[in-house]
Amino acid sequence: MNISVCIGSSCHLRGSYDIIQKLKELIARDKLEEKVNLNAAFCLGQCTHGCTIRIDEEIVTGVTPDNIEGIFQKALAERG
Amino acid sequence: MSKLHLEHGWLSMNKAGEQLCGDHVETVNREDSVIMVLADGLGSGVKASILSTLTSKILATMLAGDMTVEDCVETIALTLPVCSVRQVAYCTFTILRVDKYTGEVYLVQFDNPDLILLRQGKIYDYPKEKREIAGKTIYETRLMGYIGDMFIMMSDGAIHAGVGTVLNFGWQQPEIAEYAQRVWTPDLSAKSMAAKISDACRELYMDIPGDDTTVAALRIRKRQQVNLMIGPPTDPAQDEEIMGDFFALEGKTIVCGGTTSTVVGRYLGKAVCPTLDFFDPDIPPVATIQGVDLCTEGVITLGRVVALATQCLSNQIGEPTWLTAKDGASLIARLLFEEATNVNFYVGRAMNPAHQNPDLPLNLNLKLRLVEELARCLTDMEKTVSVRYY
Repeated sequence: MNISVCIGSSCHLRGSYDIIQKLKELIARDKLEEKVNLNAAFCLGQCTHGCTIRIDEEIVTGVTPDNIEGIFQKALAERG
Repeated sequence: MSKLHLEHGWLSMNKAGEQLCGDHVETVNREDSVIMVLADGLGSGVKASILSTLTSKILATMLAGDMTVEDCVETIALTLPVCSVRQVAYCTFTILRVDKYTGEVYLVQFDNPDLILLRQGKIYDYPKEKREIAGKTIYETRLMGYIGDMFIMMSDGAIHAGVGTVLNFGWQQPEIAEYAQRVWTPDLSAKSMAAKISDACRELYMDIPGDDTTVAALRIRKRQQVNLMIGPPTDPAQDEEIMGDFFALEGKTIVCGGTTSTVVGRYLGKAVCPTLDFFDPDIPPVATIQGVDLCTEGVITLGRVVALATQCLSNQIGEPTWLTAKDGASLIARLLFEEATNVNFYVGRAMNPAHQNPDLPLNLNLKLRLVEELARCLTDMEKTVSVRYY
């Protein structure tokens, strides 16, 4: 699974740094390094919709440091 | 345009407890030459400050007006106010004039520590001729300057650093010269050299300078152009033309902003590869695009660069963190402040929808203002700046 977190200006101001830290923690905690590939992305073109991440080809907007864990677990479950 | 670029910078530390510096550096940048005068007034505080400001201003202005050094020194001897305590008017000085076309160097020294000349990084002994003018013994030097020469002047606060505390006799001029030779690298700017020596003095003084300490440096270097693009064109039909012009420019390239990077990547046919390394939590990570020297986020990074530039221009801060830090703003600062002599900005006026959100401290005006501000700072650093809007 590939996850790219947008680090453009607008997403950065809406917490992409914290989201990346959170994802790093989650990946380390559950030892998912083999399974999940975490990346940064420059502007995903969804600037008006809150912080944006891309999980494989799916764009998820409105991500916050608080809801990222739920989004992450759901994506993991869906993809087995 | 002149062949040689004369880059100069200086730093002052005030004597502990003083609000004013008793040393003064005056620089005149003429079309054909640069004149730099470092003066150190007797005593410290306001009296010393007045003496050194007057001395350096008079010397620099008169020399810039093509007056002879005899006239200059006589004027000073006759006009400086006399100290009521010591009954003398006394201010030491070092004058350095370098011709931008021929490289001719003219140096006059009066009672300051000897100027250090590093030629290709090695200490270079230059001849000095003794002369008496208006009862003062001065030393004159005429020589040819070459690319790679670094001239370092200082007030006696530098050689007194550490006297009686960490060192018995302070830091002698030859030792400072050795130090300068050791820290020299071909890319080190004049300002950074001054900062390194000044920081070493501060350490020897254990953060409590016993005297005003000033280090000024001038470096003869080749011109180096750096080009920075921020913002895509308002009309996407212009992409091709603007990109073509930008990448045809000589020198290094910096691209700022997510959308801009995407457009650049498309133009060059290369992928934009962002990194995940936050060297500073406040500054978004940089990306790499083959064919671009540096690729960063836009307004947040540039905002930091402007702050760094303002700090750099204050002449009070020693070796800056951006010389070694790895975040995007520091990398831009290094390219623009250290490497560049000429900077071209390419600024796109396209609106970013995200920047229209009233919740965010971002807008198009901010981007334009940051570029203007940065261009002004770079001009103050005596770089040649051009801005193209599209």
